[in-house]
Amino acid sequence: MSTTDTGKWRHTSPLAAIFYFGKIYQDIAKNAVQSLAPLFAFLVAYQGDLMGKIIFGGGTFIAATVVLSVLRYWFFRYKIADDSILIREGVIRKTQLDIKFDRIQAINTQQSIIYRAFDLVTVKFDTAGSAKQEGHLPAIKTALADSLKERIRRESRGREILLDSEDKDEAPPTDKTILQLDAGDMLRIGLSSNRALVFLVFLGPVIESLSQDIEENIDESAVASAIEAGQFSLSSGLGFGLMIVFGFLTFMVFASIIGAFLRYHNYVLVSGSGVLRSTGGLLTRHEHSVNFAKIQSVFATQTPALRLFGRLRLRVNQASSGRPGHSRHFVIPLCETDQLPSIAEDIFGDEFQSADLNPRTGDYTRISPRYMRSRIILTGVLPALAVTGLILLIGGLYALILLLWIPMNALLVWTVYKKYGFRVAQDGMMLRRGFLGYRVVAFVHRKVQRISVTQTIPQKRKGLATLRIYLASGSIKLPYIDFEMAKQLRDYVLYKVESSQLAWH
Amino acid sequence: MATVVSGVVMFENPEITQSGLPQADAVNWLGMDRNFLRRLMTQAAIGLVFVIIGVASLPMIFNVAFADGNVEIGFAFLWLIIPFIGIPLFVWPAISVPRIAYAIRDKDILYKSGVFWQTVTVIPFNRIQHVEKSSTPLDRRFDIATLQLFTAGGSGGDLKIPGLSAQTAENLRVFIIGKVGSSIEHH
Repeated sequence: MSTTDTGKWRHTSPLAAIFYFGKIYQDIAKNAVQSLAPLFAFLVAYQGDLMGKIIFGGGTFIAATVVLSVLRYWFFRYKIADDSILIREGVIRKTQLDIKFDRIQAINTQQSIIYRAFDLVTVKFDTAGSAKQEGHLPAIKTALADSLKERIRRESRGREILLDSEDKDEAPPTDKTILQLDAGDMLRIGLSSNRALVFLVFLGPVIESLSQDIEENIDESAVASAIEAGQFSLSSGLGFGLMIVFGFLTFMVFASIIGAFLRYHNYVLVSGSGVLRSTGGLLTRHEHSVNFAKIQSVFATQTPALRLFGRLRLRVNQASSGRPGHSRHFVIPLCETDQLPSIAEDIFGDEFQSADLNPRTGDYTRISPRYMRSRIILTGVLPALAVTGLILLIGGLYALILLLWIPMNALLVWTVYKKYGFRVAQDGMMLRRGFLGYRVVAFVHRKVQRISVTQTIPQKRKGLATLRIYLASGSIKLPYIDFEMAKQLRDYVLYKVESSQLAWH
Repeated sequence: MATVVSGVVMFENPEITQSGLPQADAVNWLGMDRNFLRRLMTQAAIGLVFVIIGVASLPMIFNVAFADGNVEIGFAFLWLIIPFIGIPLFVWPAISVPRIAYAIRDKDILYKSGVFWQTVTVIPFNRIQHVEKSSTPLDRRFDIATLQLFTAGGSGGDLKIPGLSAQTAENLRVFIIGKVGSSIEHH
């Protein structure tokens, strides 16, 4: 493999400048105000007419970013040493990154169409350490990226051989295709995306009222004469508003379908050599991978839209770096219900054979109905009474309408309660939750980091408790379960953790 | 490496009332250092002094600011706040501190606390990432230290054991580090 051409500091391809160019604009989009402030100040200082200002300012800005991108490329060097990749970068503030091969959890790659034409690829290293340790290698040759991948794979396989210490000289493992998504699936992903749902359910009415506001404003001012001329009637105004809403919704749905195509076109999920790997994307091809050994928990989500299509969405969670927004998730955007058992088997292997990600199968142990009582009081009755009381004092009897929140909330709580449940198996556990849809979390007992049992005073009286299980990927709560059961479950999980010699990561 | 459970027949919801399992409740709970309560009381007293100074100086500040000499704003009612703040300030530690306790077992550490929400947390030694001992100047005055245990994916805060004597904290730290090091893990 060509990773052995070590020991020299090298440049990447000059096309890395494209990567930095894009990255600069991404960063600007993230914190627009701060980064545009200098430009704005410059524009104010520059004398001339508005158009000239804009052209000059925009031109300068783009030129500056081009120069910066080229500079960033120029100051970027990397070296592949025996056990690590060294990266030196920074135009003004120099940084040196030393990424050890055995700390790399996975290699993710991205290939835009331009890069594809030049056989280049951008590599992102997913390391076990802090988020600071995340490094990019922009625009390196695909062959080099592949050899790096192979090397990481060998490292992790080496680790596994250490664990098993048998079957060392097996035939080279072949990749197994788990699932592929087609154009129809892109439609399903787009239609069932949260964005489409949010807009349909919540923002729809808001936009409608907004457009009504616009309408009223229009009525009052500039277009008043037009109305007098009979060109605008109330109904046509309403129709206009509805059209805007409908148009906007359609646009959002289209946008998420297009998004699905861009991100997941030709999506293929394969497993092999202890790695789960996905590739997909229309213009920019993304390749993501995750080490099976690093998986902490798996979420299976079924929203009502996904249910309609008979599909689920999976999310594989690795240890989070503790920094919000830097979570490392591996998403399987769509899979069929019948594919769940084989995917679960691929993910958990022999370790959790009874893993079942389907929310509609199996006996889930329910939590105590007492859960509803406390929820209804805390989130329904008390806030409703407080707010109603307050508004009664200021406003009038209309405030009593707010009391409707109590039955509404009770209904919500009941729905949540009905779906809340858990299943404990020999090696792992599954927790199901849901409100409109379902979400199942599955994890292996031995990966638990810490565990706590909490009792409030009313819970104590009724012999109930809340069990909280902390995984490296987040925590899981079993509220209002039997106190004795909570304790036994805790002791059992602890026994699993403490008697395990395997690494959790 | 003896893998403990492998290739067992799969089954759902096994009875987990295995009486053979070690039970986390049957342990010898150790309370906090005696100085800890005194330390908290001192902190409460310092806090109260600041509140009193604040209440006492507020009328002066106001009457200087609006220095006509004619306007006298009454602040007597403010003194009523003091028992409302002061009493809980002193009573709360006396209630909560006796409920804090920890226990060390061969393979994990237990910590319990809470008056209204009574929680028992267990951290296995082989999941601890690192241990931190810290003490504020006031802590040091009372020879007290806080021990913090970090596990991976620290969501919801890691385990914090306050109110250990400095010596105990140091002993615990060394002991836990030793335990963490000896639990064999592959990387």
